[in-house]
Parts: sequence; structure tokens; C-alpha cells
Amino acid sequence: MTFPRTSPPAAPLPRPEPGTALYVHLPFCATKCHYCDFFSVPAEGQDLEGMVESILKEAAQRAPRAPKTLFLGGGTPSLLPANLLQRLLDGLQELTGWRESVEEASAECNPESLDSDKAKALLDLGIPRLSVGVQALDDEVLELFGRVHKGQDGLRALEAARDAGVAQLSADMIYAWPGQTLKRWEDDLGAVLELTTQHLSAYNLTYEEDTRFKRWLDQGRLSKAPEDLELALFEVARELCGAAGLAPYEVSNYSLSGHECKHNINYWQNGTYLGLGPGAVSKVGPVRAGNPRGIASYLKWIDTCGHATQWRDEPDESTRLAEGWWLGLRLAEGLDPAAVRTAAHWQGDPAQDPALPVARELVDLGLLETSGQEAHERFRLTPKGRPVADAIAVQFLRQLGGNQDPKPTPEGPLE
Amino acid sequence: MNTGQIRNFAIVAHIDHGKSTLADRMLEQSGAVKKRDMKAQLLDDMDLERERGITIKAHAVTIPHKKDGVDFLLNMIDTPGHVDFNYEVEKSMQACEGAILLVDASQGVEAQTVANAYLAIEADLEVIPVLNKTDLAHARPDEVAEEIENSLGIDATDALRVSAKSGEGVTEVLDSIIDRIPPPTGDSNAPLQALIFDAVYNEYRGVIVYLRVMEGTLNRRDKVLMMGSGKVYEAVEIGTFRPKMTPCEALGPGEVGYFISNIKTLGDLRIGDTLTLQGKPAQGMLPGYAEPKHMVFADFYPTNPGEFEEMREALETLLLSDSSFSYEPVTSDALGFGFRCGFLGLLHMEIIQERLEREHDLDMIQTAPSVTYKIKRKSGEEEWVLSPGALPNPDQYEEILEPIVRVSMLIPAEYVGVMMTIATEHRGVYVRQDYLSTTRVQLVFDIPLAEIMYDFYDKLKSATRGYGTMNYDLQGYFADDLVKLLILVNAKEVDALSSIVHKSRADIRGRTVIKKLRKEIPRHLFEVRLQAAVGSRILARESIAPLRKDVTAKCYGGDISRKRKLLEKQKAGKRKMRQVGNVDIPQKAFLSVLGSDDK
Repeated sequence: MTFPRTSPPAAPLPRPEPGTALYVHLPFCATKCHYCDFFSVPAEGQDLEGMVESILKEAAQRAPRAPKTLFLGGGTPSLLPANLLQRLLDGLQELTGWRESVEEASAECNPESLDSDKAKALLDLGIPRLSVGVQALDDEVLELFGRVHKGQDGLRALEAARDAGVAQLSADMIYAWPGQTLKRWEDDLGAVLELTTQHLSAYNLTYEEDTRFKRWLDQGRLSKAPEDLELALFEVARELCGAAGLAPYEVSNYSLSGHECKHNINYWQNGTYLGLGPGAVSKVGPVRAGNPRGIASYLKWIDTCGHATQWRDEPDESTRLAEGWWLGLRLAEGLDPAAVRTAAHWQGDPAQDPALPVARELVDLGLLETSGQEAHERFRLTPKGRPVADAIAVQFLRQLGGNQDPKPTPEGPLE
Repeated sequence: MNTGQIRNFAIVAHIDHGKSTLADRMLEQSGAVKKRDMKAQLLDDMDLERERGITIKAHAVTIPHKKDGVDFLLNMIDTPGHVDFNYEVEKSMQACEGAILLVDASQGVEAQTVANAYLAIEADLEVIPVLNKTDLAHARPDEVAEEIENSLGIDATDALRVSAKSGEGVTEVLDSIIDRIPPPTGDSNAPLQALIFDAVYNEYRGVIVYLRVMEGTLNRRDKVLMMGSGKVYEAVEIGTFRPKMTPCEALGPGEVGYFISNIKTLGDLRIGDTLTLQGKPAQGMLPGYAEPKHMVFADFYPTNPGEFEEMREALETLLLSDSSFSYEPVTSDALGFGFRCGFLGLLHMEIIQERLEREHDLDMIQTAPSVTYKIKRKSGEEEWVLSPGALPNPDQYEEILEPIVRVSMLIPAEYVGVMMTIATEHRGVYVRQDYLSTTRVQLVFDIPLAEIMYDFYDKLKSATRGYGTMNYDLQGYFADDLVKLLILVNAKEVDALSSIVHKSRADIRGRTVIKKLRKEIPRHLFEVRLQAAVGSRILARESIAPLRKDVTAKCYGGDISRKRKLLEKQKAGKRKMRQVGNVDIPQKAFLSVLGSDDK
């Protein structure tokens, strides 16, 4: 057993300027999903109210005024009872005035804790956009995932939200799970698209470190979908979403025009954001910093210091540039190298931008393409490059961040 | 001390026949080492030696023993058992008057035993046969004694029977050393002549020279002259091995001990040199030894090209403690700057490589080891070719000559047929076979060194169920129909992957190498094409399909630092690779030019 330190080990980032994106991490779930590597703990026996108060205390010291976007993520924010959601959102309103400033406000919900009352409550509190973790419609697969709801519950939750008047509705789906067929994916996707007409996220199942799924994969209890099938599933998602009028605007995200998630686009444009709550990460200036992935140390540090900064990551200039390309290329519209340099706080001569030769090489390989005039040239993934976006990211990280060995930074749960 | 009370001897044995255990037991019985100081295999200092259970460097130790009320000092010079280190064995023999031939009473005579025993006989040593592990149930001492007689012509009917493990018979061995091995001769007042038979490098003390005084006396503080190199040193400290280094004031004729001066590197010293007094030099030198013969060469390149200088320093440091390998800078089109290193054999190469990685934390790419070739120019001149990559175009030479070794295999009689087949498949030419007993045969073949370098020994071991052993020595360089097998990666020749093969094998070799490379080289964002060729003729081709799906599904604000580190880990996984053109080639791929052909 280790005892949390009495104060956070790293210095907090400065409060970002008004208008900065605001993220709140509510780390409680009904149960922990077997594939999930976000920070969350089972809600049972946890002091939800105490957590809300701590987040508000952290917000008092760190939250930006007048954020442009607000995102309640987790964990499962919909698991909070309406009165606590109200306490949290009213409290944030007092501190930031978000209800007057936001262009978008979202909350993540799971089928087991989303009914029409909860949807109405969120709408009334100023959250018009709900993102529902449907994930799959097959009961056996949901059980394998470790989720507490059935396939029909996902559809019911979408329906309830729609009927309650939610006009910005998104569904999360996972594909390429063990045993999935193309037919199955087409059917499930079709059923979900009938109920969510604005936005859909389709995630290729990934086996993240320190998850049960990864362990099962290593033990041979699970097997990865074959590459050709993954590719077919990926392409079919694009087709079906396209047919439903949802355009792909990021590798895994589809939406009606005007319903793209602004909050997430900011991440992919390597913008500034501030995260509150256990495990939340912020980026201010060229520095990223994070709170502990642990409830006790978070609560203790907020109590003593009003912030809980556990680690800071200050990548060097060219690594920041590589990050900008990696993230920006995920967007369908691609990126403008000048905008990447600005977001990366890159100080050098634009003519010496080290990302450009790497990008040109990838253009020659048919993995990237350019558009626009030379001064405003944009780069984006080609259809061939899209499914290998990570390997392309590694090219940028490798050739730009070449002299920097990854160094361990204090990170991860302390308890 | 009176030379009559001194005996100098070596132990000749095959690996695992119990040499180090016998040495340990002798030390224990003599009281030279207290029981609580005993570590198993006391003489093997290096971590690697203890781990691998083999002796790499020779060592020396003095064992006091009392017989019939007289005190004797028995100097034992421990010798390595592996064929790679024959050269060290030779040096040690020169410092002795006798040798114990230690043979495992169940395993019987092995090829290495024969080879080393012949070295002892040639050095005119008195050889005492000793059968070890006679307490084991499956021991067959009578048969093994007969094998000794048949293979070496030594009378083994009265061979001593011991169990080094239990200590039984060890006192008798000590007694017979005194009875049978002649005492050293020499005049303590004659001009000093001492033989340098080994040296080790110690981080704190510099070079420690192992010597055996043949004539005269070496005193502490003497100014000494190395007769071969002409260098002069002061004997800062002299002493004997008991078994710890124990300083003394003087070393007289017949005595074995050490000498420390301000010698910085082993490179300053010539093993086999004769040490004498500067003020009163000896008339002539003692017969020296041959330079170590490098049988195997391989190139080492730093994985990170920026670490070339670190690598040079590491090699320099390593040379301080092992003067039997060599290195020189080399350039490869594919791999940049590196070093071509020469080794006594494959085991020696592995040891050097492991020490570089362990002791110097170097990440390196090593090319497949190869033998050295010679080419005969049209003018008739012969030239060395140290690596396949360095072979000129065929119009530049008449023929290629390769080293041929005479391989002597000692095997149970029932495996003669299968070993003949294996040897022939390795381009071996039959020389002769001798029956050592009704059940054991010595089979002799001349085989190209390149053919036995990689897995011949493993094949021998598995074909004979572990009972076969082998030894070899160089016969010379002979011409054969050899060609250079080129490997092209995306149409670019990679010199570090080329090899020299017999023309009749080129096709199958090419196919095998390409298939292995296909497995070792990871998928890229583009297709990787592999080809094997001789001249412009393509023998085999394969391609590695490009990656088609590699995408992280989710990537949000909180993940970026974490995900970047994961991606960087993938990047770090590439550290053991070298980029050739834009293709990442992992270390293992460079070794795929070795190995067995597909059937």
C-alpha cells in the first residue's frame, strides 16, 4: 500500500485565456469495460458529491472564463443523479459563465443511465449534445466487453434521448471485435444510424496496454480481426455513414454538416484546452500536464492545494511539430503547415520546417495529397493513407523527434 | 625454493569433463583455500565464464602439498577447453613440464581431448592419464582407458581413477604429479629468462603479466627488458597465486607467478615474449608462440551511426583485456562506418559481442560472420578478401580461394554413415577413419571452413545424440567454384547482406536467404522487394506487402502524451534496426545469410 503525497508533485499550468475549451472528467462507471484505458472506477461506494465539490474547487483555481466548448467526459457523466449534475453545472456557470459563452456543450452517456428524464435534465441544464456509448448491439459481445447493458438498451437510450428533444445526438460504436462479420457490422450500423442522424463515432477496437483485453490477447484468449476484415469494416462504415448523410471528418468520426464535434476538433488541431477532474489532461501554451489517475490523491491534492498537477510533458519544438502533423492529418480537411507551426509554438524559419520533407516523401508514396496554392498549401491523407494514419504518425515522430528518447515521466495511478 | 620441490603442470580436458572441479578440489585438499572461500569453479573469474560454465582465459594457481614429509609447490596452469581458444592452451603448455589428461570415464575420449593431448605431447610434457567421474553408475573406465591408448598411444592401464566431485582419489593425483612429472631445471644465478605465457587486464592494477621463470631470478624492483618488444619496465610487484595474488620478493627458476608494472594495455605486451634483466640480459630468447590466428570475421556497426566513436572506445577497452581479437575501421554502402573484427572462432565472436553489449551498453548491428578468402589476380598475385562485400567483380580475378580445414570427428561407430552424409553435404572430402575401440571411430574430412562455421557442430551433436565431438585445424587455401550472392532490397544492393557461396548452391541459398529476410523485415508503408542475384542473374525474389491498416481509433486531448509515448515506443523498437535506403532492416536479418538451406 502506498500513501498519497500530501501535495501534487508538479506545478500547475497557468489559467488559460478566456474562450479556452473546458473538459471535465467524471471518473465513475457502473463497471469497468474490459477494453477501456481511460481512467475510471466503479461508482459503487464512491463519494460522488465529494468529487463534484473537488472538481468545482479545482475549477475555481484553473478553469478559463467563458469557454467556447464544454465537454463532460469520463467515466460516465450520465451516471450522476440530476441534482449532482445541476450542482456541477451551476457551480461551473458561477465560475466561468459557460452557459453564455459556449458554442457547444456535450456529455457522454451510457445506455444504462440514460432515460428520457436524464436526457431532459441535461437539456435543461444547458447540455444539448449527448454522446451515447452504444458500442455494439450483440448481447454476447457486450458481455465480453464487460458492459452492463444489453444490445436493445443502446437503441432504447438513443430513442429516449431523441424523444426527449435532443437534437445533437451522437452514438459511439466499436468494430473489429473478435468474431464480428461484415454483415453483422452493416446491420448494427444501419440500426443505429436510423436513430442518430447527426453524429457517429466508429472505433476500431484497440488492445490498449494494461487492459484485460490486452492481457487476453497476449494469452491467446482473444484474437485480433484479420487486417483485410478491419479494412473492409472501416470502408463499410464510411459507405453507410455517407449514405445516411454523415460525412467522415476525422478517421473515426462522421457527422452531418455543421454537427462536427467542435470540442474534439480543437484537440486534433493541437489547440489549448483545460481539463478538470482525476486523470484529466490540459494543454496550455506548448506544455501538457495531467492530474493523477487516482481518486484519493486527486481529492487530497485538491483539498490541500486547489490543483492536482501530477505530471508535465514539455516536448521539444520538433516533437511538438510532429504531434501537430499526427493529429491534424486525422482530420478529413487535413492541415495547413503554417497553422501546425503556430499551434506547436514553433519559432524557426518556415522554409526550414522539418515536417515538410517528411510530408513530401509521403506524398510520393501516395499516402498524402496536397491541395491549394503553394502559400496556402494543405496536406491530407489519401484513401490509401487513411487506414495507416498511425504508421504515418510514427514517421513524423521518428524523423522529427529523432534525438529524443522517450523518457519516463511521473504518470499513472499513485494508488 | 629448491627447484626439486616445484612441479609445473597443466590439465588437459574436454568441456564438462570436470577440469575446474578437479582444480577446486585440489586447492581445497591442500588447504590453500578455506572451505568457506570456495566458490564453485574458483578459477573462472569472468561473469561470462561462470555463466557459460567454460574457461576463456587461462589461469594459474599454486597448490602447496606435503608428501613424505617434504613440502612441495605445485603450479597448476588452467587452460581453456574450447577449440576457439587453442592458442591459449599452446601458450600454457610451454610453461609446464607435465600435464594431467583428464577424461570423463563415461563420455570417453573426445576430439578436443585428443587435440590438446597432442599439444602436450608435442611440447614434450609428461602426460598423466586420469579417469574422472568413476563413481557414476554408467562409468566404463576400462573401455575409456583403451580409447586413450588407441587414440594417443599413451599407456593408460594404470590410469588414476578419481571422482573430482567427491574428492576421492585426488590426493593420489597430487602424489603422482610429484612422482611422475620431472621437476623444473634452471640455475638461479644464470641471466634471467622468464616466459610470458599470459596476461590479464585489471581495471585497478593495469596489466598483470603471468610468467614462468626458466633461468635466473627475478627480484622485486628489478629493471626488466622484454626481449621481443625491446621495452623496459620496473617490476613494481611480483608474486605467486595462492590462489589470490600474493606478493613476494623474488621468483626463482621453475616458479610460476605474476609481475605488475606500469603497462597500460595488453597491446603493449607480446605473449610469448622473453623477460630478462636490463642490466644482465640473457643470451637469447625462449622459443615464442605464433600470433593468434583469426578464423572468423564479422563487421560491427553502431545501430545509431552517431555512436561510431563510442564503439571505437569500447573496442579499445576490450582489447586491453583480450588481445586475441582484432578490429579495423570499415565502410559499408548500406551501413556506414563500422569495424571489421577478427576472432579465433564463432564462440569467441559471441563472447566479444556480448561483452560489448553488456559492459559497454552498445547497441550494434553485426553482419553474418564469414571466413577470409583470397583471390588470385590475373597477374598471379594473391590478395586477401576480408568480407564478401569487398569481393571485386569477377573480371578482376582468376579464381577465389577459400580456407579448408581438416575436421576430426570422434563419434560412436553406429553414426559413421550419417556423419559421412552430413560432411559430404558440406562439401567435405573424406580423408580417413580409425577405430579407437570397437564402438568409437575417428572420422576425418577436409571441409571448407565456411561450411562448418555455422551449424555443423550442432548437426554433429544432434546426429550423434550428443556423443560426437569434433576439432579442426587449417590445411590451407584452395580454389573452388565460388560466386558472390548479392541481395537487393528495393533494387539496391545491400553489401552487408552479400555472401560468397559455391556456385552449385547459389540458387537454393538465394531462395533461403530471401525467404528468411521476408520474415525478418517488418512491413512498411510501401512494398519492399527482395531479390537474390549472382551477377545480373536474379535467382529468387519475394516482396513484403505494405501495411494496410494501422490506426489508433480514438485520440483525444487526454491521450496525446500517453499515445505519443506508445508510438515512440514503437520507434524505440526500431533501435535494433538500420535504415538502408528507406527500409528498416533489423539486426536478425543480417544474420539470415547464415544457416541451413531449405531442402
